[in-house]
Amino acid sequence: MTISRRRLLQAGLFGMASAAVGVTAACGDDDSSGTTGGDSKELSLWYWSGGLSDKVVAAVSTQFPDITFKPTQVGGAFKDKLVTTITSRQFMPDITGIKGEDIAYFMGQAGQFLDLNELGAGDLKAQYLEWKWKQGSATDGKLIGFPIDIGPTALFYRADIFKKAGLPSEVADVTAAMGTWDTFFEQGVKLKAALPGTFMVGEAAEVFDMAVGQTTKRYADADKKFIGDQEHIRNAWDLAAKAVKLGISFKVQSGGQDANAAWNQGTLPAKLGAAWVALDIKSAAEKTSGKWRVAPMPSGPANQGGSFLAIPKSSGNPKKAFEIITWMLNADNQAKGYTDAALFPSAPAAYKLPALTAADEFFGGQVTIDVFGPAAAKIPVAYESQYDSVLREPFAAELSNVETKGKDPEKAWTDAVAAAKQAGERVGVS
Amino acid sequence: MTLSRTAAPVAPKTRPRAHPHRAPGRRRRVLSYWPQYLAISPFYILFAVFGLAPVLFSFYLAFQRWDGIGEMQFAGLDNFKYLIKDEVFWLSLRNTLLIWVMSTVPTLCLALVLAVMLNSVKRFKAFYRMAFFIPNITSVVAISIFFGALFATNYGLVNGVLETVGLPGVAWLQSVWGIKTVIAVLTVWQWTGYNAIIYLAGLQTISTDLYEQAKVDGANAAQVFFRITLPLLRPIILFTVVISTVGGLQTFTEPKVLVGDTAGTGQSGLTMVFYFYRQAFSHNDYGYGAAIAMVVLLVVALFTILNWTLVQRGQDGENG
Repeated sequence: MTISRRRLLQAGLFGMASAAVGVTAACGDDDSSGTTGGDSKELSLWYWSGGLSDKVVAAVSTQFPDITFKPTQVGGAFKDKLVTTITSRQFMPDITGIKGEDIAYFMGQAGQFLDLNELGAGDLKAQYLEWKWKQGSATDGKLIGFPIDIGPTALFYRADIFKKAGLPSEVADVTAAMGTWDTFFEQGVKLKAALPGTFMVGEAAEVFDMAVGQTTKRYADADKKFIGDQEHIRNAWDLAAKAVKLGISFKVQSGGQDANAAWNQGTLPAKLGAAWVALDIKSAAEKTSGKWRVAPMPSGPANQGGSFLAIPKSSGNPKKAFEIITWMLNADNQAKGYTDAALFPSAPAAYKLPALTAADEFFGGQVTIDVFGPAAAKIPVAYESQYDSVLREPFAAELSNVETKGKDPEKAWTDAVAAAKQAGERVGVS
Repeated sequence: MTLSRTAAPVAPKTRPRAHPHRAPGRRRRVLSYWPQYLAISPFYILFAVFGLAPVLFSFYLAFQRWDGIGEMQFAGLDNFKYLIKDEVFWLSLRNTLLIWVMSTVPTLCLALVLAVMLNSVKRFKAFYRMAFFIPNITSVVAISIFFGALFATNYGLVNGVLETVGLPGVAWLQSVWGIKTVIAVLTVWQWTGYNAIIYLAGLQTISTDLYEQAKVDGANAAQVFFRITLPLLRPIILFTVVISTVGGLQTFTEPKVLVGDTAGTGQSGLTMVFYFYRQAFSHNDYGYGAAIAMVVLLVVALFTILNWTLVQRGQDGENG
């Protein structure tokens, strides 16, 4: 509830101690990074646990023997720590990770990072997915974030439950029968009729976010104009509301205890999610191994998550930093990232490597890249505004009112748009 | 007869003695105490760096527009003007007050009962005290995750028990009142023991003579409790009420872990601190976040003063 005085003191002492350590470290840094755009032999990297393959990170020292490489796994709220560090202009890393959900925000701070195109990134452009490259580029064409991984979405489902309910259960049949949201919902109704208490959709917000991700527009455009009241958002809203109306939503927060238990019990035999969700299902529902399959998402793929590496402008040796980044993220190493940390490659050449073409026993021996690979290529490019998170919130809140409080979807839509507009005005989106 | 009364006259006695000293002499005297000042300095230095400075910076920030990295823009009272018409803020204030009442009242009542019971325990005293205090030093995040599992709608233990005895299950974490109830129950569980220990300390300062005399006069247990125990515990109760107010109005971790960033159905788990956290750190709107934080400070101060006067007035009435 509150922080006790003792805990505050402990935190304070710890803070002081780490500040002291930081100061000594900084003294060491200053000698080398004093020259701008210099040739520092000591390079540091900030990433988070699971953000890169630890094996690839460890191999940097052998690949670049002339460099002293200092990788740090920063725990806790990564973005907040990076922002604090940039603001204080102290102890900056020479290379840093940026999470997918924060890339739009850092695009607004593009001046804090080096344009990777100037370091020769343009030659590598063709090796990476075009939409992902755009996502890492500012509106003026500067490349800020170099692609690490992506999150192409698909439909995860339990073949045994689908079969029991008399639904199509083979991947090819599911693909054919649930190609659109409408047919997917129809099958959801059938599923519920055959097995009462079994639901096709986890929660309405999941459908909503996926449907928004299937379009080429989001909540605000590049001119800071509010477009959340337009057709593309309205369509996504209607789809989510329809899932609620048909009674095929399980109404539980994804990732919660209930959803995990339901995966195991088979009462929630489907999940719309990015490639990395496979890892969540595997750890939450270990006993159901072999029963899951992956099919393309109804009405096409979207992207969720996936991160970047960037070079802050204070980097001691941008040239070398760029070399390290491109080496860590080449197709071979991205395949290692997939094996070690379930990071889905952003370099399509990796899709043909054994790490990705191997059959997955958890998915009944299915080669999942056959679904994710084509999905990755087809993801629509949308402008992501740094205000998307503020503008999305009223929609998610009102959608939960529709789902759990039985609020009229029409009234909820009006309220959501009004609230989003009001929030937009605050931040200068109108 | 009360602590606050006897404490008041002490201060003026020492003050006149210090007065006649001229400035230079006084400075020398202050300097001569440097080892003592040095000895107590760590707290003040830490407080200045990690307590005072951030508070002052937040105050400054509340009048700015800032995304965390770029240039700050002076916004005047814009943040506060927006706050007044921001329905989500008022919702968060209502949520906070409701959760505070729902958790503090049962916590303090239960704690008092527990303390009276603990006071009459003859054996395993240390064991009981420790057992009741342990929830308070357990990680809130861990407890919240555990409560999330207990109160899960479909596969939670609580609903399992309800259903076995033939009652319908409750969508605890998917309903407006369910979310608040779970947060309140969690808080009660965590803080009852802490307050009970404090009450116990208070109970032990009450002279046994009073109880013996009451017994001689033929008072029953209820009379003893309401006429002797409760009035003498008043300063302690005031302390716990103030501490619970300051803490309860800043509830954050429990809803954040239990219902996540959406704050649950109808944002019913959205407390004031949660809202300012979300504005500042999820939406990178640090100026507005700071403005909300300032209002939180104001609300906490207001309710603390209100509690203080209410509890104090009750006391005066009794004496007069």
